[in-house]
Amino acid sequence: MVKPDLSVSLGSLRLKNPVMSASGTFGYGLEFAPFYDISRLGAVVVKGLSLAPTPGNPPGRIVETASGMLNAIGLQNIGVERFMADVAPQLEGAGAVFAANIYGRTAEEYEAVAERLSGLSSLAAIEVNASCPNVKEGGMAFGAAPEGIQRLTERVRKATDKPVWVKLSPNVSDIASVAAAAEASGADAVSLINTIVGMAVDHRTRRPKLSNTTGGLSGPAIKPVALRMVWEVCRRVKIPVIGIGGIQTAADALEFLLVGAAAVQVGTANFRNPRACVEILEGIEAFLREERLSGIAEYRGGLLL
Amino acid sequence: MQFVAGKIVRNEGHGEIFYRLEVAIPEPVEFTPGQFAMVSGWPGNDPLLPRPLAIFRAGAAPKGKGTAEFVYKVVGRGTALLSGMHPGERLSLTLPLGRGFDLGRDGRLYWLVGGGVGFSSVFPAAAALAGRRTEFEMFLGSRTREHLPPKEWTPGGSAPGRVHLCTEDGTAGYFGRVTEVVKERLAGLSAADVSRLMILSCGPREMLKEIAFAAAERGAEMQAALENHMACGFGVCWGCVVALRDGEKVAYRRVCKEGPVFDAREVVW
Repeated sequence: MVKPDLSVSLGSLRLKNPVMSASGTFGYGLEFAPFYDISRLGAVVVKGLSLAPTPGNPPGRIVETASGMLNAIGLQNIGVERFMADVAPQLEGAGAVFAANIYGRTAEEYEAVAERLSGLSSLAAIEVNASCPNVKEGGMAFGAAPEGIQRLTERVRKATDKPVWVKLSPNVSDIASVAAAAEASGADAVSLINTIVGMAVDHRTRRPKLSNTTGGLSGPAIKPVALRMVWEVCRRVKIPVIGIGGIQTAADALEFLLVGAAAVQVGTANFRNPRACVEILEGIEAFLREERLSGIAEYRGGLLL
Repeated sequence: MQFVAGKIVRNEGHGEIFYRLEVAIPEPVEFTPGQFAMVSGWPGNDPLLPRPLAIFRAGAAPKGKGTAEFVYKVVGRGTALLSGMHPGERLSLTLPLGRGFDLGRDGRLYWLVGGGVGFSSVFPAAAALAGRRTEFEMFLGSRTREHLPPKEWTPGGSAPGRVHLCTEDGTAGYFGRVTEVVKERLAGLSAADVSRLMILSCGPREMLKEIAFAAAERGAEMQAALENHMACGFGVCWGCVVALRDGEKVAYRRVCKEGPVFDAREVVW
């Protein structure tokens, strides 16, 4: 039997398969090299980069919750300069296709990081984090409403020739409108969802379990919410949608493709199983063979309503 | 570091609170005392995350296979589920992880201090030191006699070094906390012995903190194995950080990667 065609298009960018890592759950990618060949992934999306290195939030950063976890890492990262000097060459060397997630405290900072990264010829795309719930200036000021997203997307769009993906927050009343604003402002794709704001407290010590009091919920617990939002956004915009949220298995990933996502990102599953991304990739291929489908394109968006 | 499928060989309760878990793994792994594994295998997504367990022993098994052993205490739902698993059942393990104890060179005087289940990190260090020409003593503390490790687990064969037991309720060994014994011994140590002393310790944070302060006061060196909640265990989630001194500033370092063993003087207690 002919090998199913796993490749997908995200606008002008062609990926060899739809499985990517989700930013913040995959380090800078190289940490996974001991477990498998990271060049097998559609793309590696690295941890959110800022203009200057960021120390992150004080300890008390993660809490396990029912079928999920809360995090309030606070975007600790090495900064764009060190990424470009030390990490990017190694990702290139590993043959990985990689995208950089970026954030800034102001629109100017986003612009500056995007501009700086544009010089990196091997960089496949820039994902704009307009949705970190754990840092006051982590993008939510922009991501909470269509007007903010429009302003931010336009600025980043002007700053770079790279494909621009806008990562959306679920902590809004109408995510489809926010996605539409990103599309109208020149985004090449939208990725969703980022984590859902949550909270955990200790009833004995009477204190919050996270130093930041609130955090972002991820893991299988959020998958139904993510799936609904991806479906809504797919019906609203024409640009490709990257589905994220609680994907643990190939079946989970296929569900996102079924409701219209062009590709997926695997996040929290990487913590439990360092090989999660490749196992999901292998599972998708096995499913397509089993169903005798020619490729992703034949399956994608085929939800029967 | 590898991610492997393991098969439970034994998983037995000892005394009131400890479980000893032995897992057959595809090939032998080498580890430094203090290093750990991320272990999961209970069915379903809840709890979601693997549990960090200190590697108690690791070795070779017939046909080129390996074995890894752990001692754990049931502290929550993950370890409770783990304690209910049987020989033959499968586990996923990522190991060995983190930076273990620096056992340096011969000729030093080592004190190994374990509080509660902390002995599971300290015993492998004792086993390594027992094979060398170096002096060591072990201080083990627990709330009560039943919470001390079974005697036959103590490493070292015929030369186990000196072992000091302490219980808070006086049911075995010294009547009081292990910190009191260590502090008293520290106070009485000659300057020459202090300069060649290296304390290796694992246990509750309060215990480590008290001993770290006492060691610092006398100018003795100490390595502390810290614990924290972890999501990944191999450095990608940045969830398990602790505050360390970095010159005049404070920097957040990962217990799973830069630790779990840290120079006690660098920790912001």
